[in-house]
Amino acid sequence: MNQRILVSVSILTVLISGVLLATILVAAQAPSGTPAAAAAKAATTWTLSRTPDGQPDLQGYWTNLSFTPLERPAKYAGKEFFTDEELAEEFKRGVQHSYDFTFQNSAETPVYDGTVYALDAWQNGIKPNRRTSLIKDPADGKIPPRTPETQKRATERAAARRGRGPADRPEDLGLGVRCFSFQNAGPPMLPGNYNSNYLIVQAPGYVMITYEWNSEVRIIPLDGRPPLSQNIRRWHGDSRGRWEGNTLVVETTNFRPEGTYQDANPETLRMVERFTRVDADSINYEFTVNDPTTWTRPWTVEVPLNKIEGPMFEYACSEGNNSLINILQGARAAEKAAAKEAR
Amino acid sequence: MRTRFRDVMLVAATAAVVAALSLAVRPIAGQAPTGVQVPAYKAARTADGKADLNGIWQALNTANWDIQDHEAKAGPHPELMGAYGAEPAGQGVVEGTELPYQPWAAARKKENFEKRMIVNITSDPKRHDAGDPELKCYRPGLPRANYMPLPFQIVQSQKYIMITYEYVHALRTIYMEDHREAPADSWMGWSNGRWEGDTLVVDSTGFLPYTWFDRAGNFHSDALHVIERYTPISPYHLQYEATIEDPKVFTRPWKMSFPLYRRMEKNAQLLDFNCVEFVEDMMYGHLRKQPNK
Repeated sequence: MNQRILVSVSILTVLISGVLLATILVAAQAPSGTPAAAAAKAATTWTLSRTPDGQPDLQGYWTNLSFTPLERPAKYAGKEFFTDEELAEEFKRGVQHSYDFTFQNSAETPVYDGTVYALDAWQNGIKPNRRTSLIKDPADGKIPPRTPETQKRATERAAARRGRGPADRPEDLGLGVRCFSFQNAGPPMLPGNYNSNYLIVQAPGYVMITYEWNSEVRIIPLDGRPPLSQNIRRWHGDSRGRWEGNTLVVETTNFRPEGTYQDANPETLRMVERFTRVDADSINYEFTVNDPTTWTRPWTVEVPLNKIEGPMFEYACSEGNNSLINILQGARAAEKAAAKEAR
Repeated sequence: MRTRFRDVMLVAATAAVVAALSLAVRPIAGQAPTGVQVPAYKAARTADGKADLNGIWQALNTANWDIQDHEAKAGPHPELMGAYGAEPAGQGVVEGTELPYQPWAAARKKENFEKRMIVNITSDPKRHDAGDPELKCYRPGLPRANYMPLPFQIVQSQKYIMITYEYVHALRTIYMEDHREAPADSWMGWSNGRWEGDTLVVDSTGFLPYTWFDRAGNFHSDALHVIERYTPISPYHLQYEATIEDPKVFTRPWKMSFPLYRRMEKNAQLLDFNCVEFVEDMMYGHLRKQPNK
């Protein structure tokens, strides 16, 4: 059993066919964030449920899959939302691309058999998103300019990396390949390549968010305790939460340098997330990136979390990390072959 | 680590005193949890009326070294590790002294111990053939996760009771509804839970055969079936009991039990013990282009 890619077994048995695809397209036509959908929901008298201890209920399985990119593509410049026609077209294109990709990964690929593992977006509850970019502020849908200080950091790092091959040592590979940490567990919670699934569980004084990829965990205390000392840095930062009305607001600092989103400055990055249940099937999720030493202004991203069926599976990454050994072994073998060739 | 251990000792001692005081004023009544001589304790309730197991808990024993009785001894590589690596003595957590291994399995346990520090990383499941999985920072499985020398947190909701272990953020979802057979094998197993009075009973199957019970090489197969009982016995203690069934390895089911102590430090929280980064050089260092660089 390949443990790196644990599969959604419930999906294993599903017959992949054009009929199914059509069903998905139809089922997903009503975008959760649209005024029309909101009106329809309002008509069904949805009321916010609460946990036994009185918190607004965010619990359950969610996905943040979206075909909308973080930054706005040039062709939609000046346009925050798709029209109905554009939305339908973009979503159809996204599903088709995801569907085609599934069959590109055949049983012969060293990655995984896409027809068996059912990890692609069209198979995992993706819904249309009316936004043309996930970034909602600034209004142009783009990450704001970086400060000169950040440029210097990037230059220094590139200089340190110079002269090394792509896989001279494990440290040359990404945190994901090394099974250290998967940033999409948050903050910020952004869609990943697969396993973009979250389970939220609430208990008195805590909200817990688990993320399927690498079975990452965030436990967010709500009791107003002070932040951790700056001497303790965490892979997903250290989060403190509070309720503002029906919105869960989570502030996170104390990031580790290696695991900091978008190469921000771990010393100054403060991430503020907002979770608001808007109907039975969705949570509006927003985060604001505050880091004055990295960007010239704060910026805000909005991603809907859409309800999905559970369960989630254990993702034991390092236990079955074939990639890392294959990449390093492959690189050493290539060097040996090249040396032989040169002789 | 040593500081943490000392803190735990202090907390445990304090908790024991407080518990003793509370026991003194509490009349003895009702049913004691299986195998444990404790007076009945009416657990704090959650808003939906269940026993409240929320909190940060930790075992205070040496079972991760050896679940059976053991004397103190030098650890691996004493020439390097000195007293840092030494194994403390401990009374076993197993009911009865011996484990009911089948003859082949008793031999395998010895072999496991002898080869506990073998690290032979391949890009296939053969990597799991020898060596203690803990050494390689693999998920500890059950019941070992509960007596690793690190805390864990229970987050209790109606549908799911989540247990997160600080050790490599190993995670369990205990399904309180929608019980089903394990849909896939995993390191931490598939857990269905139910309440028996104030006791949380967790039935877990679907295990991979690779985890061990301790550093002494005690082990199981993929037929492992663990039934755990978590019983609050004071505001500061849970009594933990696990029944182990594995007909491929043992001749009969057997039990272990020990208390779990609530971590009482102000603002106690789980931190990161993401040991994957600490074992990378041990596991993949031989594949560097230039050794030690």
